[in-house]
Amino acid sequence: MENVVLVCTAGMSTSLLVSKMKKIAAENNIQINIEALAQSELKNYSKKIDLILLGPQVKYLLNNLERDYQNTQAKFAVIDSIQYGTLNGKAVLNQVLTLLDKKVI
Amino acid sequence: MLNKFMRLMENKFVPVASKLGSQRHLIAIRDAFISIMPLAIIGSLAILINNFPIRAYQNFMAFLFGPEWTSFSNYIYSGTFAIMSLLIVFSISYNLADSYDTDPLLAALISFSAFIITIIQSGKDGLTIPFQWLDASGLLVAILVAILATEIYVKMMNIIKLKKQKEEGTMSPILNRYFFALIPTIMIFLIFSLMRIVFASFGIENIIEEIYRLIQLPLMGLANNLGTALVIVFIGHFFWFLGLHGTNILEPVIQALYLPALQENIQAVNNNLAVPNIFTKPFFDSFVYMGGSGTTISLLIVIYLFSNSKRKRDLMKLSSTQSVFNINEPILYGLPIVMSPIYLIPFIFTPLILTLSSYFAILTGLVPKTIAMVPWGTPPIISGFLITGSITGSLLQIFNIFIGILIYFPFVKIAERIKE
Repeated sequence: MENVVLVCTAGMSTSLLVSKMKKIAAENNIQINIEALAQSELKNYSKKIDLILLGPQVKYLLNNLERDYQNTQAKFAVIDSIQYGTLNGKAVLNQVLTLLDKKVI
Repeated sequence: MLNKFMRLMENKFVPVASKLGSQRHLIAIRDAFISIMPLAIIGSLAILINNFPIRAYQNFMAFLFGPEWTSFSNYIYSGTFAIMSLLIVFSISYNLADSYDTDPLLAALISFSAFIITIIQSGKDGLTIPFQWLDASGLLVAILVAILATEIYVKMMNIIKLKKQKEEGTMSPILNRYFFALIPTIMIFLIFSLMRIVFASFGIENIIEEIYRLIQLPLMGLANNLGTALVIVFIGHFFWFLGLHGTNILEPVIQALYLPALQENIQAVNNNLAVPNIFTKPFFDSFVYMGGSGTTISLLIVIYLFSNSKRKRDLMKLSSTQSVFNINEPILYGLPIVMSPIYLIPFIFTPLILTLSSYFAILTGLVPKTIAMVPWGTPPIISGFLITGSITGSLLQIFNIFIGILIYFPFVKIAERIKE
């Protein structure tokens, strides 16, 4: 099962988005693990990561991700700010599915 | 014209803010302060329990636990806020080494030792650690020592790692790990003890005291000035306006300047002295950033009371729970405030004006100075009471929210008229 993490400063504002995404994923029978993390937790996250999505407010961490994850299979991207703000679980889930080369819903 | 301005901002300021926000040492400092936050909060609440300004409460506690009842909280304070520099040395070094993928625990232990080497004093009973410098007054030295020791450690370990790869060792890995760390450890201890001797030859025995007097004190003086506070609030919100987490980017600076200010206040309360500082970390968190950056709790109330836009009302419902805990990303990105020229004005001016109103409320003595730390997510009105120990703290928050409503109101209306 693919492992996706959403990162923001304290892991709080993304957690609401993650719970929406999980609900939609479950409704559509999509087997995917999604978690919200604080940026400081990412470093010590032990599971294998397939995709890291950054909240738009921490998009400046993109360079650090490129540095830290260059030798892994992890992909990374920034969440669109309007979809992030409106907590659009479906749109962000579709972004995840696209990035993981899966069929969108 | 407006688009040109926005593009200029994107191209000129976003890269600078991004650099600041992703800078390795600043991240290590910020995360270090975040990790010691539980201890700082407990320590400050302990002092608040001791000094709650109600006579009946004081008498009751003394009756219940005896006249020495306050020593209980004093112990907690001694183990938390009073040794903040020790905690910070350890946690900065840990975070920094971790960011380099170098053994963080060893780095933190070495930095801890290096800090002790830097501050140890000879007293009449032999060597002593000067306890009064372990609180926030030793913070600058703690930050410098942690970064210096960790950098030396990481650089040397990297050289050793390269050498080691050429001649694969036969020792067990755990032995390997500590054996090879010996060389950098010795080097670091040599450097730091030599530094002591060099400083001593210039007549400086107490390095912490000198650096505090020459650098940290002037810096804190500068920080506790209305102009500086306004500039910090402005920069934080300007970054947010560009879509970047301004308060998070500035966090290392804010923590390093305004947490010591709070600690001075707490200590003054505990020693029955006049409380010195108006601007502290909780001053901004609780009086200005209510509902999150931009005091968006006022904006939500405006939308709740006066807006007919379905989209705005949906967004308000969606984010109201989070807003109570001062989290407002949905409003910032969803309304959006970010990069919106209409909301730029109230988003930046509300917090600036509330910084002014809170400053004058405290300056004139209407509201007492802040004397306790609460988590930044503590809901407004509750937090105002907790950080000042006075109901006037909550009243100031209500007043500020009201001012915010007045500022946001016309702009919400303008935004709606433009949409139509």
